[in-house]
Amino acid sequence: MRPLFSRTSVAIVRFVIAVTFSVATMVVDVRFEALSFVRQALKTSLWPIEKLASAPQEFSRSFAQWLSFRVSLVGRLESLSLDNERLKTEQLKLQTLRAENAELRRLLSVKERFSEQLLQAEINRLSNDPFIHRATINRGFLASVKKGQPVLSADGLVGQVVAVYPHASEVLLVTDSTHQLPVQVTRTRDRAIAIGVGLLNRLELRNLPDTVDMVSGDLLETSGLGGRFQSGIPVARVIDVIRSPGQPFARVMAVPIAQLSRLSLVMVDVSTEGSR
Amino acid sequence: MTFLVTWVASLLLIAAPFPAFMAIALPQWGLLFVVWWSLMRNYQLSITLLTFSSLPIDVLYGTALGMHAFIFALLAYVLTLLGPRVRQVNLVMQSVVVFFVLLVASAVSYWARTLTGLDPEFYILFTQTLASAIFWAPMRYLFERIANFTGEAGADSS
Repeated sequence: MRPLFSRTSVAIVRFVIAVTFSVATMVVDVRFEALSFVRQALKTSLWPIEKLASAPQEFSRSFAQWLSFRVSLVGRLESLSLDNERLKTEQLKLQTLRAENAELRRLLSVKERFSEQLLQAEINRLSNDPFIHRATINRGFLASVKKGQPVLSADGLVGQVVAVYPHASEVLLVTDSTHQLPVQVTRTRDRAIAIGVGLLNRLELRNLPDTVDMVSGDLLETSGLGGRFQSGIPVARVIDVIRSPGQPFARVMAVPIAQLSRLSLVMVDVSTEGSR
Repeated sequence: MTFLVTWVASLLLIAAPFPAFMAIALPQWGLLFVVWWSLMRNYQLSITLLTFSSLPIDVLYGTALGMHAFIFALLAYVLTLLGPRVRQVNLVMQSVVVFFVLLVASAVSYWARTLTGLDPEFYILFTQTLASAIFWAPMRYLFERIANFTGEAGADSS
């Protein structure tokens, strides 16, 4: 048997071929996005590995749920019944408001703003690479999920679908450093771009005029610009506005409203047009 | 057979869900896999196999396809040349060598990630490299057990 890199000249040739191939693959994938079918095939074939890897966690989660189920069943039932009654009452109010809103929008000839075709999905795993904020959910194109569709939690926007496979999809979280999102301040309607900085609890708004009317506690919501997200979805809350003397622009720090590090259930807005 | 089993074991470790706060201290399982093969079994290793075995790792991490192939080739080249000398030293010294070699690989990874549009923090790559060096001994033990189990134990296995 001979070593992998036995003689120096052969070693260099093999090394150069491997490096050339890998750099070419990277360029074709990142620059031209021409390898999505390879990624899709690999992702599909890795499904058993992912299921097996997450089996211990799922087992421990099920066991913990079973234990808590036994212990606090009665208490939870009472609490849920109360919540259910309260939600029923609120839903009645909401139905009245929705009808009123639809009537007003019809009179103003404005299109209906919110659709409600939300598909519930479970987060299977988050990427273990700390620089890539992607989550894999258990719904794919067989469940009508399409690339570009927004993903929400009960609190606010989580991200958008960036890759779709038969039984799973990948969601790019709003905090990923490659993600940029048009937002507006609910209070003033000032618009900005929320940029992910690679931290799960941080978004940044850059290049805002120093005089911008934004204070800590302001709510940021999607502005609807760009056409990818409907307007009015809560995104983040401003925590700091940094105005440096002599600098023309202010930097605004915000914290995402959705608890991205603790998410387990999300909803995909399948009513939004996407692409396969 | 050993290659397949160790590769699947590495994929399982990469795919295993860990809490987000642990991400900074997670060993780079894929790189440890290459380190073991380059140091301990380089005569059984094929660069083509190594390149294609890296693609699922890119998919699991969500990095650009080919990024791990690039780092794997670099690691395999350096470690195959260093191999005979590194195999002679004790496990602690091996961990130190693994740390420095992986640190170079992390620097290349940092550069590749920046080129592909990411904004990585180098200190996280540093802490992951440190964790990888610490995990070198258990990983080596695990892979040697796998090699023994599959009946392909090398002359240097202990």
